[in-house]
Amino acid sequence: MALLYGLIWRLLLALVRIKRATVSWLRVRLRTWKGRFWQRTMAALLLPVPVSEFKQKKAGADQSSDGDRDGKGAGSRRSRWISDGISLEKLPVHIGLVVAEEELSYTDIANMVVWCMAVGVSYVSVYDHHGIFQKNNSWLQEEIVRQQHNLLGGDDSTFNMELLKNGTDKPQHFVVSCRPVVKVLSPEDGKHSIVQAARKLCHSVEKKEWSSKDISVSMLDVLLRESKNIPDPELVVKFGPVNSTLGFLPWHIRLTEFVSLPSHKNVSYEDLFGSLQRYSACHQRLGQ
Amino acid sequence: MQWSGPMPKHVAFIMDGNRRFARKKKLERHDGHMQGFNKLAETLRWCKHLNIPEVTVYAFSIENFKRSKEEVDGLLDLARQKFERLLEEQENLEKHGVCIRVLGDLNMLPLDLQQVIAKAVVMTKNHNKCFLNVCFAYTSRYEITNAVREMAWGVEQGLIKASDVSEALLSECLYSNNSPNPDLLIRTSGEVRLSDFLLWQTSHSCLVFQSVLWPEYSFWNLCEAIVQYQLNHKSIQKARELHREEQALQQLEADCACIAEHLQHQGNGKPADAQRRQEALQHYTVTREERVQDFLQALKHKRDTFFTNLCSETVLT
Repeated sequence: MALLYGLIWRLLLALVRIKRATVSWLRVRLRTWKGRFWQRTMAALLLPVPVSEFKQKKAGADQSSDGDRDGKGAGSRRSRWISDGISLEKLPVHIGLVVAEEELSYTDIANMVVWCMAVGVSYVSVYDHHGIFQKNNSWLQEEIVRQQHNLLGGDDSTFNMELLKNGTDKPQHFVVSCRPVVKVLSPEDGKHSIVQAARKLCHSVEKKEWSSKDISVSMLDVLLRESKNIPDPELVVKFGPVNSTLGFLPWHIRLTEFVSLPSHKNVSYEDLFGSLQRYSACHQRLGQ
Repeated sequence: MQWSGPMPKHVAFIMDGNRRFARKKKLERHDGHMQGFNKLAETLRWCKHLNIPEVTVYAFSIENFKRSKEEVDGLLDLARQKFERLLEEQENLEKHGVCIRVLGDLNMLPLDLQQVIAKAVVMTKNHNKCFLNVCFAYTSRYEITNAVREMAWGVEQGLIKASDVSEALLSECLYSNNSPNPDLLIRTSGEVRLSDFLLWQTSHSCLVFQSVLWPEYSFWNLCEAIVQYQLNHKSIQKARELHREEQALQQLEADCACIAEHLQHQGNGKPADAQRRQEALQHYTVTREERVQDFLQALKHKRDTFFTNLCSETVLT
């Protein structure tokens, strides 16, 4: 009987592996063919994997490579994105883009950052667990500025982003500011930051400034925000086949909604907006 | 039973959906929770059959105290009943080697519940075949804060220095310090968030969100989750290894910084040679590790005493 179960298990695993391989193959095909048939097949195969609804890519929606520099086109796109944001019941203040893939595409991430801003999200963080985005922070920033220009036209004033450098934020930086903020994060901003805050508190106890009994959740929380004032992300969009947060901001993600997309490469605005719609529809009971 | 690919050794469950199940079946909320408990017992049997030795469950969050008094009292009563029932099963628990641990800020609970929990924990603490960790009056942020508080206590007692604080030490001070990190975290009922559960421990775990309501959870749902774990295993292992290497590097850097400061004081401004630095580093690392071990022993003693005191209070009353 055990042998039979073992065989059934192996068959199940083989089927899932075949499905995954087929989906990857189709994804490559889709990039070249972009036919409706393949989109529907992929959508069918992707279910019930937790992804946002695969919406048909509209003609001319491929803004990343074409880059319609016509001001009129950029203007209408911008107003469309603004109205999309307004149409949602709720919009996250902070979206985390967690890339769990080996190969990174700066252009695609830059597009997503710009779309998030355009829709009305005020804080966007970008994360990969190797810390590669953070190491190449300036390259990513340049790409974001370039895509902002491509997608939104020449008038940058409405979306004058604040691209935070690494290291400590100035203490007077407010989370709720008029200018959207982009932050590039790495595992150092996760457990390592918590350890640093813990060390600080223990130093204060060593110097008899505090007693151990004084240490509370809010105290630790305030200390964490002092050095890097990162608001809790309401939504994390995770890209790639790995089902894990891979060390992304453990303290901050206690109530974060997770949406998975198969890849950040060639992701469309519709894919991202689908994730926002999904977030908008969820209802948090907060323990009650 | 060796299946294709590795089996998770520690699975964590967020058993969500009891109330929605009750609404769906037109039952009372309390019945939904009862069904949920029965499903937990069944799931533990499946895990035993699949040779998964450790299971952690999110039974009651600190946030759940916000619910109506009626529901909270009902849940605490249910817990009281079930723990008392467990005490009657002492022989069975010993036979199967089941170790029960309860993780959380237990002093938030009524004293009589604390006492019955303490009895179950003390009664099974030397069992080592399988482990059930019940998170009760728990949130991850409270757990992490408590770990920091314990390290600060260690500093106050002169057992460790503030510079000894590290990721590894913080992990050893969590309520879950006797367990390896979960390999797999499963949340039922379709919600896709962690709700302040094991945030530190699951940073590199496989997360599986399933839409089935907890009281309707089936063996096949569990298998589905395990398949996901097996498919993610290699990439998550790689990520875990990378993180471990980073951790080791950070510890080395911290140790080097400490001895650099120390040598500066000693050397009166003259830079120490490489060999002296190396010897000092080795010596410092050894003494730091000894200090930390002594502190962890003291912490273990403090925690054991908490439970045994609760048990002896029951005897007196």
